[in-house]
Amino acid sequence: MAAVVDGAELILSVPDDVLALISAHLRPGDLLALSAASRRLHAALSAADKPWLAQCRRLLPSSLSHLLAWRAAAGGSSLTVCRFLHSVSPLRGLWAHQNPELGNLVAVLPGFLSLVAVRAIPQELSPRLLWAPVFEILADAHGRPTLLFLHGHHPGSLFPGLLDALNPHANTLLLEAHASLSSSPIQQFPRLSFGNRRRLLDALVASCRLTLPPDLAAAPLFARSDEDIPVLAARREAMLRMHTESGGGMVGTPELEALLLGAKKMLPLPAVDATGDEVGLRRSLSAMACRLKNGLRQMVTRSASANSRSEYADSKHLPFDKFLRAGQMVGLSLRGSRVRLSTYRAWPSMNDNRLALYKLTTQTPMPGREYAGLWGGTFGWPPGRPEDECKPGKALFFLLLSYEKDSEGKLLLIATKVLEGTHYVVHPNGSSMFVVRVGEPSTEAFPWMTEDEDSRSVDIDRSFAGEGIASGYGFRYPGSKPGSLFVLRDGRLAFVWRDSKSVLTLQRLNLEELLRKGERVPALPPIPNFVYLTKSYSNVYTVMHGSSSCSSSTSQVKDATKGQELR
Amino acid sequence: MAATTADGSKVVGGGEKSNVDEESKMITLFSSDGERFEVTQEAAAMSQTIHHMMEDGCVDDEGVHLPNVGSSILAMVIEYCNRHVASPDEKEDIRSFDAGFVNVEHHTLFDIIRAANYLDVKELMDLCCQTVADSIKSKSVEEIRELFGIVNDFTPEEEAEIRKENQWAFE
Repeated sequence: MAAVVDGAELILSVPDDVLALISAHLRPGDLLALSAASRRLHAALSAADKPWLAQCRRLLPSSLSHLLAWRAAAGGSSLTVCRFLHSVSPLRGLWAHQNPELGNLVAVLPGFLSLVAVRAIPQELSPRLLWAPVFEILADAHGRPTLLFLHGHHPGSLFPGLLDALNPHANTLLLEAHASLSSSPIQQFPRLSFGNRRRLLDALVASCRLTLPPDLAAAPLFARSDEDIPVLAARREAMLRMHTESGGGMVGTPELEALLLGAKKMLPLPAVDATGDEVGLRRSLSAMACRLKNGLRQMVTRSASANSRSEYADSKHLPFDKFLRAGQMVGLSLRGSRVRLSTYRAWPSMNDNRLALYKLTTQTPMPGREYAGLWGGTFGWPPGRPEDECKPGKALFFLLLSYEKDSEGKLLLIATKVLEGTHYVVHPNGSSMFVVRVGEPSTEAFPWMTEDEDSRSVDIDRSFAGEGIASGYGFRYPGSKPGSLFVLRDGRLAFVWRDSKSVLTLQRLNLEELLRKGERVPALPPIPNFVYLTKSYSNVYTVMHGSSSCSSSTSQVKDATKGQELR
Repeated sequence: MAATTADGSKVVGGGEKSNVDEESKMITLFSSDGERFEVTQEAAAMSQTIHHMMEDGCVDDEGVHLPNVGSSILAMVIEYCNRHVASPDEKEDIRSFDAGFVNVEHHTLFDIIRAANYLDVKELMDLCCQTVADSIKSKSVEEIRELFGIVNDFTPEEEAEIRKENQWAFE
């Protein structure tokens, strides 16, 4: 055997297939470190597609045909796709805001060489999960996740911007405005007053709207099957083109100033344009009043957060004209930031006056913690089934189950409510619907012998003792009453309140699957669609017409403002 | 070494009918340098390449010639296969055997990889690729160069350029 002259020879002596096998155990950084070792390695590993395709398969374990379509859209480069998937991964998962209290859960899933954020709206149990789009992040030609599009009410409306920054461990997602000439590394937007921030965002939204042609407006946002791939590719190309042609949605200062001045003159009437996307000046003023009210309330509630000690601290505001400097362009932006967040029972303490979504940590199941993850279900026995046609339908609940040790080191299983399908919310978003002690089996018997008229008997595997939520001292302070969690043989969970015999049955959810098979409903206007800051206890995402599984328009909206009319 | 060299004993080829148990049917393998190895058919069948040849009846009385695999490497591959068919259920023993098996110089490891690739021995491929990956994981460029004896032929400017280019994977 010839002596090896250069170590690079060794690595280059194996075929690409083998490099791909090795790559499957590595991270992108490892492959890049290897390729940076010498010229030959750099040339070989930059040109070789299989090792990078292996990376992509690790980062996006979906069907290979989808990945190959993404690769084609990325100019045939798996490295470009890999870069996108790796850079954008902090966005994957579940996000939420405190308000509306019925739930506003946002799930971020793969689109087409993009990530798509969609919201599961409060709804009744039905065969298809209803969802509304929130935003999309597209890869640019180099695989950088830079192109942002907010969704609005009209299906073809898109509002372009940039993904400004994404912390690898981001736990908040902030909707902001960024300025083109800003040389200062310090974020300027947070230094504006709340009112000015809202006015600026509303003005940007009013001037940057793009409209997809009808056939692409009706196209899906993510692949439900291989057949969707061509239209997704066409949609992506159209969006890229529109983003470039519109200058990324950037608006010049003079135009913005005119808009802001015009808006001021129109006070107190809100300006509403043809498609229902509101420039809500009145809303922002009322929201400010609401914020003051809430701010006072915050000081006495336990959810008053330590989070205000950050760039959004209201101590000294930046004057508006300092932000809107001459010769500058301003555009919508999203920023994924990591802040110090306090959480109580898996629910973060959230600030009221920022347009921010907060990351919900999802634990993975493991031995001893088998029930971690997202579950969904209904109240009542027998359990609701999606195909049931009963009217009224059963309210759909989503609960995030997680494990925590209490002060004595005992393991607790906590069920955090993240979506509620009733017409008027009973307990705050993020409440613990039940907390059970993992080490304490319940002494209670399951109240029902059979599931339905067919006398299918209920088999209980195990049970845990704990407490379930109950009315307490008003809305913000729920109490608890004893109850037990039963694990059914078929894997479902059922929590029974001991005295009232109320029962909540849950099944594990594959949210991505449900969304793919679900039904799209219209979104709200872009800013409230991202985060709905006005306090609300009912379903603000409700559709006024059509959909049989949505609540009707008679639900009372306890908004500080009128006018969330959806058309 | 578990492989045995020929001692004049009868070689039972693939096509011959015999009263002997399936497991002890032997097959002869020839390395690129002409050395001869006797292996059970069961062990040889771990190589999908040889397995297909046996199934398709392409193995003659002489045995299988493997022009791409040298004797020392073939001996190691045979050792691996013998060990894995002998007691496939003793997970702990096999794990420690595997750990010792891959504890070799990089150039030997890569030789085994190439042989296992040619012979299509999936388990051995996975083991060796995992081992190579483990040695690369989380290492800096300099550490990788040292590990494999790679000569850095970039200029400092080029290196800086590449480092900037690769920044996205290290954030």
